Amino acid sequence: MAIIQTIDLTKRFKDLVAVDKLSLSIDEGEIFGLLGPNGAGKTTTVLMLSTVIKPTKGTAIVGDYDIRKNPDDVRKLIGICFQEPKLMWVSTPWDVLNWHAKVCGLSTRERKRRVKQVLEHVNMWDHRRKRIHGLSGGMKKRVEVAKILIQRPKIAFIDEPTSQIDVVGKHKIWNMIRELRDEGSTIILATNELFEADVLSDRVGIMHKGKMLVCDTPKTLKDSILGGDIVEVQLEKEVTKNVLDELKGFKEVVEVVVVKSDDLRIHLNKVEKVVPQIMNLFLNERLPISSIRMSEPSLDDVFVHYTGLTIEEAEQKSKSR
Amino acid sequence: MKAILHLIEHDFRNFFRYKWWLAGLISMNLADLLIMAVVYNQMLSPEIAEQIKSYFSFFAPGVTVVGLFASAFMIGREINMEVRRQIHHYMLSLPITRLELALGRLLAGGLRGMMYMTPLLLTTFLIIGFPSLPQLFIILGALFLLATGISGVSIATAVSITSFEKFITARGLIYYVLFFCSSIFYPLSLIQTLGQEGIMPQPLVVLAELNPLSNGADLIRAFLLGNPAFTFDMIRNLVVFSAIFVTAATIAYMKIIERK
Repeated sequence: MAIIQTIDLTKRFKDLVAVDKLSLSIDEGEIFGLLGPNGAGKTTTVLMLSTVIKPTKGTAIVGDYDIRKNPDDVRKLIGICFQEPKLMWVSTPWDVLNWHAKVCGLSTRERKRRVKQVLEHVNMWDHRRKRIHGLSGGMKKRVEVAKILIQRPKIAFIDEPTSQIDVVGKHKIWNMIRELRDEGSTIILATNELFEADVLSDRVGIMHKGKMLVCDTPKTLKDSILGGDIVEVQLEKEVTKNVLDELKGFKEVVEVVVVKSDDLRIHLNKVEKVVPQIMNLFLNERLPISSIRMSEPSLDDVFVHYTGLTIEEAEQKSKSR
Repeated sequence: MKAILHLIEHDFRNFFRYKWWLAGLISMNLADLLIMAVVYNQMLSPEIAEQIKSYFSFFAPGVTVVGLFASAFMIGREINMEVRRQIHHYMLSLPITRLELALGRLLAGGLRGMMYMTPLLLTTFLIIGFPSLPQLFIILGALFLLATGISGVSIATAVSITSFEKFITARGLIYYVLFFCSSIFYPLSLIQTLGQEGIMPQPLVVLAELNPLSNGADLIRAFLLGNPAFTFDMIRNLVVFSAIFVTAATIAYMKIIERK
């Protein structure tokens, strides 16, 4: 069941169309990855859905409420972890989180328990009384993420949750996001980290220049690239014409490249399904295999496939928009 | 209502974090009173000395109002900083209505001004004498209107001007016009006489008469010193000032801030 439905959602800043007629449906309880380079329109979408800024055209239904007609009701359902931590420099992590929990309606007892628990979880307990201006970028980000973990909103918008955070911290935050989902929150994860979107998201929507290019599960998106999977086979003997013909006969095989007479590169779809059959073919033809390597396309490849650009190139183009 | 209280708590907490700034401000106000007023007392012409008796007593209510103004105006500086650093996006995402958000910030600014002013007002009472209980309530009510109005001026300015440089310039202009074109430092009767003699331009005389700081300072003087005489115009001017700027700030905060 859809918990968010956008209808031609558009935001224009003077001549720049930041979000262009976005129509999107997000199901309750899923982690939806909003993927795209900086400047693709992800943050603007999040800000509109959370009623922080008003759309120029179109609207969205969040929960059961229209963001234009019932913004106050929408805000009761949502929580945001911003890309740039939104913290007053003179505050301390404890005060920021305690006040946030208070505004979100947590009882005194529950508030104190959750603030302590989450601060310990994000390794900020020992720094809870330090001024924000004295914290590192990664620490500030952890305080920002902690806000949403304490709030546990019905719909959580999380914008670049692991930017400025080290590898160990990243995995910890990913686990916390999954826990948040398991506790019943729907999560909209805006990120330009393709790997992050891949490991966390149930579905991914790729945005570019304010438009939604494609939206599906990471697996379906990867499978949608014809011949995206690659199998590299090193044989102990030269390959025969008969084997090559049989390989080309598989409907999943798109192309067979003979790198050397005993070295093949096979471009195909659904590698996991076809590889056993290919192995059987070589065994039946008495062609021993000395090594085999398989690779699946990543979301980087999906992005390149749909935009013709790498995410870095797309970012450069967005800057010059 | 709960949301407004949370916002007031938020802004009070931030206010007291700037303790060195506050210490500097209080020192400046006390220096005004204990140095400038004592020196100026020796510089009075016989006619003015006859009218106001002691500059020290005359100036104490003025310093109280200056302190109230500076501290109530501080909320604008914080909101301007929030807008520049986009922290206002966080405030706008909270489960609080826009009206509650605007009123909470306005009231917080006004109440911070009242709190900062309290020791200065007590000092004034100690120097000049204490008012009766009804007079005290009228003074506090009038100063609260003044404080929320000032908070409104500062918030409306802060959300309309994003550039820090322009905000500081606007703040300076508001400070100097309202401070020096008022009866804080000199009696309104003297300004009016200068206006009649053609020394002071008439628009400045009118501004000084309508200036809420003049009305606030003269209201305290009226009850404590008996000069100038109390008039209901003082209260009316403060009500009008507060109503205009509370409304302006509420609309500005609710409408303009969403576009930033």
